[in-house]
Amino acid sequence: MVEATTTQVEQSAAKPRPKRGPKGYSLRTLPGFTFVALFTMIVLYAPISILVIFSFNEGDSLAIWEGFSLQWYAKAAANEQVQEAAIRSLYLAFIASTIGTIAATMAALATTRTRRFTGKTMIYALINQPLMVPEIVTAVALLIVFAAIKVATGHNSMIYLIVAHTAFCIPFAYLPIRARLETMDNSLETAARDLYASAWQTFRMVTLPNMWPGIIAGMMLSFVISLDTVVITEFVKSAGQDTLPTYMLGQLRRVVTPEVNAISTVILFSGAILVALFFRLTQRKG
Amino acid sequence: MKHLTLTASALALCASGAMAQELNIYNWGNYTNPDLITKFEEETGIKVTITDYDSNDTALAKVKAGGHGFDIVVPSHSYIPIWIGEGLLLETRPDEMENFSNVADEWVDVSWDPGRHYTVPWQWGTTGVVVNTKYYDGDINTSSIFLDPPEELVGKINVVPEMGDVMTLAILYHGGEPCTGDKDVLRKVRDTLVDAKEKWLGMDYGNLEKFAKEDLWAGVNWNGSTFRMRLQNENIAYGYPKEGFVLWMDSVAVLADAQNVDEAKAFQNFVMDPENAALISEFARYANGINGSEPFMPADMKTAPEIVIPDELKAAGHFTETCAPEVQELYTRSWTDLQK
Repeated sequence: MVEATTTQVEQSAAKPRPKRGPKGYSLRTLPGFTFVALFTMIVLYAPISILVIFSFNEGDSLAIWEGFSLQWYAKAAANEQVQEAAIRSLYLAFIASTIGTIAATMAALATTRTRRFTGKTMIYALINQPLMVPEIVTAVALLIVFAAIKVATGHNSMIYLIVAHTAFCIPFAYLPIRARLETMDNSLETAARDLYASAWQTFRMVTLPNMWPGIIAGMMLSFVISLDTVVITEFVKSAGQDTLPTYMLGQLRRVVTPEVNAISTVILFSGAILVALFFRLTQRKG
Repeated sequence: MKHLTLTASALALCASGAMAQELNIYNWGNYTNPDLITKFEEETGIKVTITDYDSNDTALAKVKAGGHGFDIVVPSHSYIPIWIGEGLLLETRPDEMENFSNVADEWVDVSWDPGRHYTVPWQWGTTGVVVNTKYYDGDINTSSIFLDPPEELVGKINVVPEMGDVMTLAILYHGGEPCTGDKDVLRKVRDTLVDAKEKWLGMDYGNLEKFAKEDLWAGVNWNGSTFRMRLQNENIAYGYPKEGFVLWMDSVAVLADAQNVDEAKAFQNFVMDPENAALISEFARYANGINGSEPFMPADMKTAPEIVIPDELKAAGHFTETCAPEVQELYTRSWTDLQK
């Protein structure tokens, strides 16, 4: 899923996809196109729709429909543990995506607005490393390192989760920002420098306003990713640091009630709204 | 935006500063009654924070790594010797605590913590068989329900994929002892399981709905889960195999590197109070092992056949243990044969 998202991000940010190929060839005319498309949509969305439907169930079953009710939303909203986990998730996602986006912006500038230098590809690979390394590997590595630091310093705050989340927020923010920078016309910046603007003035008055949609898109994407991450959080969290996903994971072992569906539905739609905003911003012509 | 970030990070750092009278509990998710915690906070003035885990292994791995910040953990009985062996638990001597006299005799001298020098009972339960009595009205207190199924139930059986539980049930069925290394018994166990599997529908968790909707008619299951099934479908009954069934217990322990030792000990003492133990059971629907908690229990639990083991079958209950590695190896091999 991660890879699919990033390719989409790159494509949509880089250039509007051509509707037709060079010789009037269209994918849509291929036999079975409608069937494959429909099938994919059903496979992708049927389970999610069932999850959403049963969040409105009156009974406590996930399979037997007993009538419409909003009671599970009320229950989730009134549950103190859910409230705290939700606030913690948003707080963490906000800070991690903000720091991650700032770092990613600087990294994107350094890899697109500079002359070719040796090791550029290497740096590119290093920045994107968190996308390639399986989450569980990162999680176990962080558990070991952070545990040692926690023991040595006796310090146990959210800072560890913030650092961990920021680390994987960077590549997700980096991709749309870099894509944006690569499609931006260099001649504007050259013109600004020709007119005796300082490097800082050029950046502030030309580059930054133009790359802004990319930055916002990167921040929203990394925000959603941070909100979703469960494995790394589960391994890094200390006492009293459950986020919504780790709270939900804890519920699954015993009986699952539609309360989990209700929480999932809220996360799903908040995420969908952010992703929709993200696409609007990346497709707007700057 | 940068400024905001700094402020927020600074806040995060401050938030960790030690406050007086705290307690950090690390427990299974959806397992701790919020009313129990509120009562504890009101009586003691200690602020409690609960953090969840979803398996014994996760909890053990995190605590072993250190620096976790937890004071209390609630592991299953088969894991407690590992926790003690690794030096992760504090010897708090619950047996010398004020409320210890409430612990039922059978839960005092337990094999995983003889004399209760480390742990306090939280909840216990059984693994047995579940049967929909609409489709089968014979004797259900036997493992032959899934090991040699009656004709009526063939093809409608589900066995939970818990190696320890299923292997122990099958070994007891063949007259062996839990953790036996007797090759003859183990060969019979493997053959029985492999043959019986032909007559099962599957080996899955989370079947509450399928049993309630009568897609499944019988199988191996936990008592609390079967209790909840029966509340949805009154034909469902829980059987305690007379050849032997499995017992388990989760217990409250204080961590060796706990920061709030006095508060944690207070909590151990607190959960041994009958009224408080009843609150634990009321929420998670398992028995608690504390004498005198019955009057405070919800009415439907006092008589529930899934919770109250019939006297004549009590002796058939056995705890799963962590077997010797070479025995464990044999079990894993049979289990792999079964999964093929």
